[in-house]
Amino acid sequence: MAKEEEHKVEAENAPRYLLWRRLQQKRLTRWSLRVLYVLIFLAVFGGGIANEKPLYCKIDGSSQFPVFHQIGLDLGLFPKSATFIQMDWKNETYDFVIFPPIPYSPKTTDIRNKYKGPFSKQNVKSLFYRHWLGTDRLGHDLLAGMIAGTRVAMLVGLISMSIAAAIGILLGALAGYFGDDRLSVNLTGLIINLIALFFAWFFSFKVRWYALSEAGNQGRLGGEFLKSLAMFIGILLLANVLVYFIKKWPLAKKQVALPLDLLIMRAIEVLNSIPGLLLLLALVAVFAKSSIIYVMVIIGFIRWPSIARFLRAELLRIRDLGYIEAGRALGFSDRRLLFKHALPNAIAPVLITIAFGMASAVLLESALSFLGIGVGEDGITWGRLLSDARDNHLAWWLAIFPGGAIFVTVTIFNLIGEGLTEALGAEGE
Amino acid sequence: MFSYLIKRLFLFVPTLIVVSMLSFGLSRMAPSSQVVDYLQQDPFSIVSTPNELLIAEKKYKDAAKVLNLDKPAFYFTITSAAFPDTLYKILLPERKSVLEKLIAQYGNWPEIKAYYSAIRTLELQVLGLPDSLKGAAIDFKLNLRDLYKAHHDGTILAHFERMENAMAAQPKLEPSLSMGLMDLKNRFEKVKSHATTGKLKVPAFQWHGFNNQYHHWLTQFVKGNFGTSIARRRPVTDIVSPALLWTLVLNVSAILLAFLIAVPLGVWSAVKKGSRFDKNSSLVAFMLYSLPTFWVGTMLLVFFTTKEYGMDFFTGAWLGHLPEEASLWVKLKTMYPHLVLPIICITYPAVAFIARQARGSMSGVLKQEYIKTARAKGLPESKVIWKHGFRNALFPLITLVASVLPAAIAGSVTIEMIYNIPGLGWTMLQSINEQDWPIVFAIMMLGAVLTIAGILLSDILYALADPRVKFKRA
Repeated sequence: MAKEEEHKVEAENAPRYLLWRRLQQKRLTRWSLRVLYVLIFLAVFGGGIANEKPLYCKIDGSSQFPVFHQIGLDLGLFPKSATFIQMDWKNETYDFVIFPPIPYSPKTTDIRNKYKGPFSKQNVKSLFYRHWLGTDRLGHDLLAGMIAGTRVAMLVGLISMSIAAAIGILLGALAGYFGDDRLSVNLTGLIINLIALFFAWFFSFKVRWYALSEAGNQGRLGGEFLKSLAMFIGILLLANVLVYFIKKWPLAKKQVALPLDLLIMRAIEVLNSIPGLLLLLALVAVFAKSSIIYVMVIIGFIRWPSIARFLRAELLRIRDLGYIEAGRALGFSDRRLLFKHALPNAIAPVLITIAFGMASAVLLESALSFLGIGVGEDGITWGRLLSDARDNHLAWWLAIFPGGAIFVTVTIFNLIGEGLTEALGAEGE
Repeated sequence: MFSYLIKRLFLFVPTLIVVSMLSFGLSRMAPSSQVVDYLQQDPFSIVSTPNELLIAEKKYKDAAKVLNLDKPAFYFTITSAAFPDTLYKILLPERKSVLEKLIAQYGNWPEIKAYYSAIRTLELQVLGLPDSLKGAAIDFKLNLRDLYKAHHDGTILAHFERMENAMAAQPKLEPSLSMGLMDLKNRFEKVKSHATTGKLKVPAFQWHGFNNQYHHWLTQFVKGNFGTSIARRRPVTDIVSPALLWTLVLNVSAILLAFLIAVPLGVWSAVKKGSRFDKNSSLVAFMLYSLPTFWVGTMLLVFFTTKEYGMDFFTGAWLGHLPEEASLWVKLKTMYPHLVLPIICITYPAVAFIARQARGSMSGVLKQEYIKTARAKGLPESKVIWKHGFRNALFPLITLVASVLPAAIAGSVTIEMIYNIPGLGWTMLQSINEQDWPIVFAIMMLGAVLTIAGILLSDILYALADPRVKFKRA
């Protein structure tokens, strides 16, 4: 019994629990985390909270679960049926029915209630059908729209920050750990690899360009692309086998230092010198095919520098600590030192930049959809709902609620970032 | 000082060049119907005589020249030996891509070129038919035109067959066109039989020299000529420079205002550290910083310019049109009631940011030993704070100009949109919607230049204020 207790105490004192507990100590951070849970809940279960279809209904004795049926249809699990799509769920006569708490989908038009405010008199059957946050010019329910927007906002944070973190952590770690002089490579090997890289690109993509484009037109790009990729990797492998043998030759033993830090910092400088929103606008205008996913990916690709810089600074500090020196003296490989010993100690502080990065990603995406760039006709985001407010100044609810949602989300991510900073700062002392 | 300046300047040149390549590369990926958009109609769609064809070709060529599209794209191309280095001379993007696909299949450029010019010769012949025969040749002509878009063996042969059928149905056509068609078919057969696919697998490096699109674009950009707008058919410079003026008026006044408010606020918080004033102002600054500008902008517009809410203290969004010949002063005077709210929107996040930095910088200085000394020798508190403390706290704040200005310019995109101010952001959005790519990329490039200039400026100011810097950092 006593031993179990001991184990528990030990587990609770493990660094990540410590961080977690410290994070919970501050009231503002605690509340921010709670709001975040609510937002995540809305993002995941939004389709079951605001939907014009019933959750469960009994028609002519047969039970149906229309909301879940729709999910199945979207995933392609069930065959499409015209009767299901054309069904008028609101005016159907049911034996028994359970509607979601908000009986409107974001795109349900309610022509009898256009531009109705939360407090104005609404033309609805009962209190259950009231538009609690009002409607826009086509009678779309604002609350349902905002719940749909929650999912987009959370996805933006998740997807774009995953991409940014993947790039930022890799490049930042390389720049910080190796600096300009610690990564030395065999000169002959480097030259051969560069030449091989050119030929690999030339033969697998340039020469096969026509085959790839034809395959793309016929919708079977995957196979041809894999073939090209296999060729690409094959040529590089072959070159490295060659390098392995050439390296044994004494004349080819010259080593040079790769200025990784310089290269990566220059890339960051270039990205940082173009104002973010202008770059994003141009990129989205050229690449995006009116889908929010493209916007998320592009945000991820331009938001990695802050993470990379932070991690670089951390690793510059860590790489000179005693235990890394000791590891090097023991003859551990750089790969092992970097990934097993240095990086794990630098990862927790990166959470801070990720939290702040989520805030800025949500802000960027909503600014973009507010400007009407990159969101397709059917995309519903907070920024887009907010932009409707400019059409009718009397519809104050369109200005307050979606903008408030953006503000709350950005603020809680910022507060979590602050909380993390404090929690980790305390750990250092 | 001078050598330090030169050194800093040279460090920025490579960055600028990479940025310029990036934005030029992006502009090349934009949809490529620019010449037709510029001409506002496809010049080839109305051709009915050989002379008109030549005129249309000339029209297209001239427009491509104006838009800087009649040169190779870059200094060099890395491609396979089958591709000629004169392919850029084919100006129509659709035809160029068909020719590229033909080369990728057969690899024999001389034969493909001969086939291509045989199509054109035949087209001239068809167009040169006497009016009495033109009606009969319509089917033949359409199929001939389609050859410009066909790169599959099967499709091309099908077009040949349909042309033969069209000729058979109209025997009058036979004497004038059968020779040309025969020739065309022979040419295509030759393309196939003389294929040199081996050449495709040989890499080739083609040097185009300095007469290329990128070089021309960059040198003209440096001279202040940003190209020609597609939608408005005017020099981009004429459109962008008034826009730049409005953006600068908006942002520079907002940033000056922000410094005037934020610096005393931050200094005072640092002096009264831990007081209620300090805590409250920190919290307010934090909240302000998280407030999205486009939300605040929309709310101010909705609530403070609409009569129905009874708070219409400000004039609403700018909806008028400024005559271009009006003087700057007249323009500013007409515009300024409309600028109050936008300036507030750009100012407040900058205030929040600068106040926070000023507080940090000042409280760092107040901890120093020389402040203790100043107090110990009995200087009045105001002198300690403003003369000994504030002066030293000011240096780091100078560099903030560099980070605040680009953020403000990016932030003012939404504000310009909300309040209809014809600045850079507004113009860029307009141009994206009109697919006017020269303007889009000129503005993106201009934003980068402004940012780099801001960084440079703050470096120089810093070096001027604190002479130690240039020895340490240069």
